[in-house]
Amino acid sequence: MGRMLLTDLNVLVVDDVNSMRVNIRDLLKAAGFSTVRVAGGVDEAKKLLEVETIHLVLSDLHMEPLNGLDFLGYVRGHPLYKGVPFLMVTAENTKEHVLGAIVAGVDDYIMKPFTAVQLQNKVYGVLQRKKVIGT
Amino acid sequence: MTANPLRGATDAARIQEFVSELEGFATKAEETLKAIESDLEGNRHLFSVFSESMFTIRGTAVQLGFPNIADIASLGEELAIKGRSATQRAHIRRCVAALWDAQTTVKYLIIHHDEETGEEQQILMNRLQSMLNAFGGARPKVDQDEIEALLKGRG
Repeated sequence: MGRMLLTDLNVLVVDDVNSMRVNIRDLLKAAGFSTVRVAGGVDEAKKLLEVETIHLVLSDLHMEPLNGLDFLGYVRGHPLYKGVPFLMVTAENTKEHVLGAIVAGVDDYIMKPFTAVQLQNKVYGVLQRKKVIGT
Repeated sequence: MTANPLRGATDAARIQEFVSELEGFATKAEETLKAIESDLEGNRHLFSVFSESMFTIRGTAVQLGFPNIADIASLGEELAIKGRSATQRAHIRRCVAALWDAQTTVKYLIIHHDEETGEEQQILMNRLQSMLNAFGGARPKVDQDEIEALLKGRG
């Protein structure tokens, strides 16, 4: 994939709490991402992946009935989506859960609370490491 | 503390939406606690549901700049984890009693989200923290720097 501009990227935010989805979407838009899709759960997120080209996923960890690790496992195990950059966005900071996400193949992990700048740095970092955007 | 993205906004409807959503989680926690109380040992597994509700409240509140709500929800979350693994009925009962205090206060603070944490809430937090310590303390946590190190260590 060639290097892309932020405005060309399609970002997917997955969180079962509406207030969080709105907050993260607004922060991403302020950071220059013009297309931000939101999903209230893993099933909805899977459907979006099927119909749209997603360049970056930001997912909550704790969701029901399927959680962020389930979704990460699905993405990493899928031939079409396995390379999609995946950022876990959560308040979960127990070592057990963090290690679980790392072992499952998360690209980065950002803990709440975060500022717009911290989120932006994390997102840019992941996209640059995965060579989606230039440095 | 992180700047509050909501309080800086002029959109009062957004704040109300946030409050309503958290109230929903607090109500779920309250119903779960009632179910646990009705059968302390048989419904002990429901502590997980309670801790998940408190976790959600904590995560959302901390991100949206309501640390007083997040702090008590955090204690409720950890005490519920202790309740789940408690083997003595007396310990389960103590956890339930403490969680009622946490739950009631979280709900009050969500509704009165503009109020500062009062002396009563601080006393409650100290009491919940002491109890959590007596039960062995909170689970091991990592901060963002440690997460960075773990990610780099993956190679």
